[in-house]
Amino acid sequence: MTALDTQAAPTVDAPLAPTVDAAPSRARVGGRTGTPGVVGRRLLGTVLVLWASVTVAFVALQLAPGSAVDALVPPTVRTPEALAAVTAEWGLDRPLVQQYGDYVVRLLHGDLGTSYQLHRPVIDVIGSQMGPTVQLATAGLGVAVLLAVILAVSTAGRPWASRIAGGAELAIVSIPEFWLGIVLLFVFSFSLGWFPVAGAGGVSSLVLPAVALGLGLVGLISQVLREGVERSLEQPYTLSVRARGVSETGLRLRHSLRHASLPVVTLLGWLVGGLLGGVIIVEQVFGRPGIGVVALQAAQARDLPVVLGIALLSALVYVTVNTAVDLLALLIDPRLRSRS
Amino acid sequence: MSLTSNRRPRRGAFTATTLALTSAFVLAACSAGSGSGSATSSGASGTPQSGGTLTWGVETEPVTLNPQLNGQDKTKLLLRNSYEQLLARQDDGTFVPWLASAYKVSDDELTYTFTVRDGVTFWDGKALDASAVVTNINQQIDPEYNPYGAGGPLSHLASATATDATTVTLVLKEKYAPFLDYIGSLPLISPDAFGKADVQAGGPDVAGTGPFVLESYSKGQSLDFTKNPDYDWAPATATHQGAPYLDALTYRFLPESSVRLGALQSGQVDVIEGVPGTQAAQFQKTDKFTYLTALNTGTPYSLYFNTLASPTSDQKVREAFRDAVDLDAILQSVYAGQRTRAWSAVSPQDPNFYDKSLEGSYGNDVKKANALLDEAGWTGRDADGYRTKDGKRLTISDYQAQPYVRDQRDTLLQAIQAQVKQNAGIDFDVQLVDTGVAGQHQKAKDYGTYDNSNTNPDGVDIEYHWLPNDKGGFINLSNASDPQLLTWLTAAQQTTDVAARSESYSDLQKFVITEKAYSFPLYEPADQIAAQAKVHGVGFRTYYQLPESAYDVWLSR
Repeated sequence: MTALDTQAAPTVDAPLAPTVDAAPSRARVGGRTGTPGVVGRRLLGTVLVLWASVTVAFVALQLAPGSAVDALVPPTVRTPEALAAVTAEWGLDRPLVQQYGDYVVRLLHGDLGTSYQLHRPVIDVIGSQMGPTVQLATAGLGVAVLLAVILAVSTAGRPWASRIAGGAELAIVSIPEFWLGIVLLFVFSFSLGWFPVAGAGGVSSLVLPAVALGLGLVGLISQVLREGVERSLEQPYTLSVRARGVSETGLRLRHSLRHASLPVVTLLGWLVGGLLGGVIIVEQVFGRPGIGVVALQAAQARDLPVVLGIALLSALVYVTVNTAVDLLALLIDPRLRSRS
Repeated sequence: MSLTSNRRPRRGAFTATTLALTSAFVLAACSAGSGSGSATSSGASGTPQSGGTLTWGVETEPVTLNPQLNGQDKTKLLLRNSYEQLLARQDDGTFVPWLASAYKVSDDELTYTFTVRDGVTFWDGKALDASAVVTNINQQIDPEYNPYGAGGPLSHLASATATDATTVTLVLKEKYAPFLDYIGSLPLISPDAFGKADVQAGGPDVAGTGPFVLESYSKGQSLDFTKNPDYDWAPATATHQGAPYLDALTYRFLPESSVRLGALQSGQVDVIEGVPGTQAAQFQKTDKFTYLTALNTGTPYSLYFNTLASPTSDQKVREAFRDAVDLDAILQSVYAGQRTRAWSAVSPQDPNFYDKSLEGSYGNDVKKANALLDEAGWTGRDADGYRTKDGKRLTISDYQAQPYVRDQRDTLLQAIQAQVKQNAGIDFDVQLVDTGVAGQHQKAKDYGTYDNSNTNPDGVDIEYHWLPNDKGGFINLSNASDPQLLTWLTAAQQTTDVAARSESYSDLQKFVITEKAYSFPLYEPADQIAAQAKVHGVGFRTYYQLPESAYDVWLSR
């Protein structure tokens, strides 16, 4: 089990979403699921993560060079009057501590504020863009898991096949999503005409973006998965399963895969956190609507309410996914249920 | 849109696009040599046909759909489908009626009277009358609605009144020549829109009078319009009158240029704007596409030497930098001959203020550049081959704000960087930074050069660049403050006599470019449109030269 826990530990690249409760909490949940104490602790942890991500994002934006007012007011209208009007409009003349305090108080009332740049409530901006991004992320992850399972199960324990697959995986991981997206577009959209270039209309427009997003993750997942399947194939129970006359494919799919999937499920927990980065690029390349494009524009324009709203959202997604991962782990590995 | 055009260009298109892709990424600095075509409107061959839907791939998405609050030149082609203005300008700079059927400027140039055209309605049913125009103007100086309005040209306005149902009278505090252009091109929205909660974000709730009704907006994806069947008030600058030809119109936001190009070649969109110089040839040399380009108005893309910081405070250094560059060769290699060299502080597109006498009058003299630097005392050389003075390297820094880098301007500055090093031992330190960092350097005035272009026509661009910082010189990036500049600019502001204004601006341009070397014009930014052959009537707006709305566009079947 120690091997599994080290898989869960890396906190990697999700600065907006501290991984407070990724690995350690599974051990905690491990006791009895559903007891009030565990649920309470989980909720408290969630609130802490949300608060921390909003605070870190707030501080980070304040530390970034340049001022928000300068970013908002175009250079050719930067009169003292215009600067004063914009400063007053958004209350940017209040002390930072007060701006932060006011924001948190409004947040507790469920008010995410209004976008400086778009003049629309943040909740509307994010709400209207959520759907396409959720579709893209889910489909991308789906593509990644499907391909990884096929690759890992079919090549594990077969030295030549694993070596070739491993090389291909490494090559694909090294291709930037930007480049991959453009190549996919040129081949399958512009030349073959199989899929439309962009948009959020229908399944056909989701295929290429999902593949562009998913391919980058295939390598990561299948490497972990293959190692797990290989380790499982060396275990004594494999011998007894084989002795029962189970076919090789049946063995791999029904037994080895289950053993190998626990670290992958944990890995997915933090992959989802890092998915936002890929989403930004894929949405931009394919001209898809979504949170990624909104996040990019907001960060460039120092649109504080939107940036904080997205930080909050990604933290929430992260916590939810990791809770789901923990529950899934219990389902996959009965040993976790009895431990603690 | 037809299936055939979708499928036909298989193999050929793939080879072409692959080549295009490679050239975009790998051969950015390699010359491919080709002629540059230019026209102002695609061939209106045949009789215009009504009907059909057009899909147009555009690079830039509007930050706001409210035309009065949107300052992005690149999104004007979208918003002009729905929002119109009092006057239009012809290519020679003269004004013609649009929503105003007539206008008059008093002899003392202080009173402007507009007669509002009869029978114009906003698509929310509200009629356009004098009080609607006055409401629009007054809203601009309300900081609650438009924080930037009061400081601009409207700061010269004393009063705006509807003297009767169709007459608007505007009185100025002092003469201000660019006022007519500003007020004549202020997009008008329905007075009822100002009460809407989302007026600042804009959208279908903000009604206009234009030939197309803004139907829906999908952020990050598209903007949809439908025909306004009642439309019957096009200006004389349009090629037809009455309702628009197209039934519906969709603009797709495709920020990546290679994706836009591919979408056009595969027939997924009918028109695109924004074609990189290295990829223009594939649309020029075929009759499957129409390719149009027009130079922007305003000030070309230029380097401004900071006169407040060393070493660019020394005129000899500024001249040496300029003379060390063989700009024609650089433009040829970066843009494959598809961009026009700039010489003046104004675009050649400007019928009145372009100073042709500056052409060929400076630059590309390596010997002189080195002599000037020797004279200025930069005689040492360090291990890397850069000139030094008192042990200090001759470094000129430029902070390019990454979000604003377009049209391969980063490659252009890198090419200049290589040349000034090789030719004159100057360390041109180009740094790609975020907007905040660039803004900080601009404020601290600790840069060597600052790069910028802007499209404001009619002398407003010159004011922005050469008035003192605190007197309306919002982008006076050279920080020049010679008293002559203010004298010329004030003289030009206070008369509507084009010849007199032109003379003042000409004196100013010679002073800042050749005499003092405050700025180094590089190239004229341009807009490009590429369209399927079946698309007719796309083109550029008269005088302003930005891509025009789809009012005159029709599809042949």
